[in-house]
Amino acid sequence: MASAELNIFACEPEYAALAKELAPNARIYSATTAMQDPHQVQARPSLIAKMRQADIAVCAGADLEIGWLPMLQMKSSNAKVRSTDQGLFYAAEQVETLDQLKSVDRSMGDVHAKGNPHLHFSPERMLKVAQALTVKLTAVDPASKAEYESALADFSQRWTAAIPVWEKKAAPLHGKKVIAYHSSFKYLFNWVGIEQVADLEPKPGLPPSSSHLASLLTRTEAGDVMAIIVASYQDERGANWLGERANLPVQVLPMSVGGNDQSQDLFSLYDSVLDLLLSVKAS
Amino acid sequence: MTVFNNRVSCVAAACAFFTTSAFAENPTLTNPAISAVLDGYYQNTERPMAERGEGFGLGHTEIAMSANIDDMFYGKLTAVIEMHDGETELGLEEAFIQTLAMPWGFSIRAGRFLSDVGYLNNQHVHTDAFSDRPAAYRAFLGSHYFDDGVRVNYVAPTDLYWTMGLESFKGDSMRAAGGEHDDHEADSDHAERDYKNIGVYTAYTKIGGDIGNGSWQAGLSYMRNENGRMVEGEHEEHAALAAGDEGHDHSHSATFTGENTYIADFVYKWAPNGNYKYQHLTVSGEYFKVTDFAPLQDDHDSTASVDDMQGWYLSSVYQFSPNWSAGVRYGETDVQELHGDHFDAQKLKETEVSLAWHHSHFSTVRLQYTNQKGTNYFGIEDDNVLTLQYVMTLGAHGAHQF
Repeated sequence: MASAELNIFACEPEYAALAKELAPNARIYSATTAMQDPHQVQARPSLIAKMRQADIAVCAGADLEIGWLPMLQMKSSNAKVRSTDQGLFYAAEQVETLDQLKSVDRSMGDVHAKGNPHLHFSPERMLKVAQALTVKLTAVDPASKAEYESALADFSQRWTAAIPVWEKKAAPLHGKKVIAYHSSFKYLFNWVGIEQVADLEPKPGLPPSSSHLASLLTRTEAGDVMAIIVASYQDERGANWLGERANLPVQVLPMSVGGNDQSQDLFSLYDSVLDLLLSVKAS
Repeated sequence: MTVFNNRVSCVAAACAFFTTSAFAENPTLTNPAISAVLDGYYQNTERPMAERGEGFGLGHTEIAMSANIDDMFYGKLTAVIEMHDGETELGLEEAFIQTLAMPWGFSIRAGRFLSDVGYLNNQHVHTDAFSDRPAAYRAFLGSHYFDDGVRVNYVAPTDLYWTMGLESFKGDSMRAAGGEHDDHEADSDHAERDYKNIGVYTAYTKIGGDIGNGSWQAGLSYMRNENGRMVEGEHEEHAALAAGDEGHDHSHSATFTGENTYIADFVYKWAPNGNYKYQHLTVSGEYFKVTDFAPLQDDHDSTASVDDMQGWYLSSVYQFSPNWSAGVRYGETDVQELHGDHFDAQKLKETEVSLAWHHSHFSTVRLQYTNQKGTNYFGIEDDNVLTLQYVMTLGAHGAHQF
């Protein structure tokens, strides 16, 4: 099989973008866009049809897709992407995730025992994921080994060169405090040193309630919060309500590639997110 | 169907799992996906042929376990606990294995499972947006048709979703009345009715895809029921059942059967930007046609020219925030009741609205109003049905079907 014939099914657009870096000739399909919450996706007919044809499925893992991926696997009858022994690939299994939990109870909300799955804003982790994905590509399509290894070398070189540039650019954000929706940007904040002091969700997965927003308004009175951050697939109403009353800027960040005009690949996604955060800080 | 000891040990085993396992994980060797559904309600009166009775009651209370058995087989067990007139009944709704690694898009499912005919039938009732299935399902499929049998399914390697399958079932719950089911006339002639052991065969195909931010699926199904034709004289039991004298039809048997059933179904779902988290719309509809139910007779022709039975519904549900959804549904069902040497046509029309509050996607409280217009045959005492219901799931996240 030549890489041009390889079918890659990505659960999220960040992994479609990574696959495009590592297997530029493959047929790549993303099940979701940056405007769609990957927690809640319909196991719809078009996705079953795409998964039926896939040689590799690349997903975040850590149970992010547990509400729909098992159904797609069951319905698509494609043994190639049933198991991680074969064509299934979970990014979260390649790295150490943040916020792993020893025990999980539904009263805690919709939490993931395997840790936070939104790891694509950790540049170090993404490099490890890229290396592991190349191993997977090579295992499934050994004939194109050289092609995948050279694509990885090229990507790694550009990515490692970009990291210090991003870190220098993000330096003014260090120590800033924000209120954000869900733990979507946990890895980004962890990386650039932003502290998320409160969550718009009262519990993970539950929409912002008025009583919870009122408590957040009290929290903002300390005057140390820089902005309210919302991902491109999240409802802005709660954030806008709070922003107006607390006189804080509300910034929507692209959750993934395609989340705004600037974010065309992983590099421009990182650029865009940092640019937007810096513009909020300046305002 | 009542297996008391098994019920207790099954519940106890499940409880032991609930206290020690983390739910959100993938099923593993020591941690199969275990879930339970709690469903309770209050209702002012009854809907014909429905499982819910008047007053307080429990609906589908179920415990399910599923996991990959090995790299070739997946297995699932769903036990349903129902209370009827002070009796506890344990039913097995699903106990099947399915292949995971057959080549070329084929899969085989065997055991007890929900037939894949129509749109709603293979969905679990706790995911429904209304408290009871549409009348057409209650009349022709016993609300939801599950049975012991085998299925072969094929998914085509095309960008347009295209699947097709064949099923074969025992078909006991789809038998036309008579024979051993007919207690009143156990010693009459037709009590000896010779049913076929493999009663039901189905064939179905579904296609689907995306249009913009919406997704659609359409299907056609055919069901052959070898034991679906009525025999002369059985109408008395049918009439008694429908009039409510027999209480509810606990056995999930179809009330009206025929040798041939044809189903056409479609569903369309839409969400802003395709993001289902906050708002989404579901429109679905199905049409049933049931033919060849009249007794085969030479001596009188009056039953030969009877109209086919049919039923349809159209349903629309909108979730306008993560916490609230509302639905409307309208359906008509036309059935034929055998009365002596002729058939009486009977009609049931249902207009329904429902409003549901979801604290999270695991808990729902629903208020539903149904206006039912039917002939006396259906034994309707009140045209207005109000149901207040909760449906909650605990345990593993079940991945839902489209």
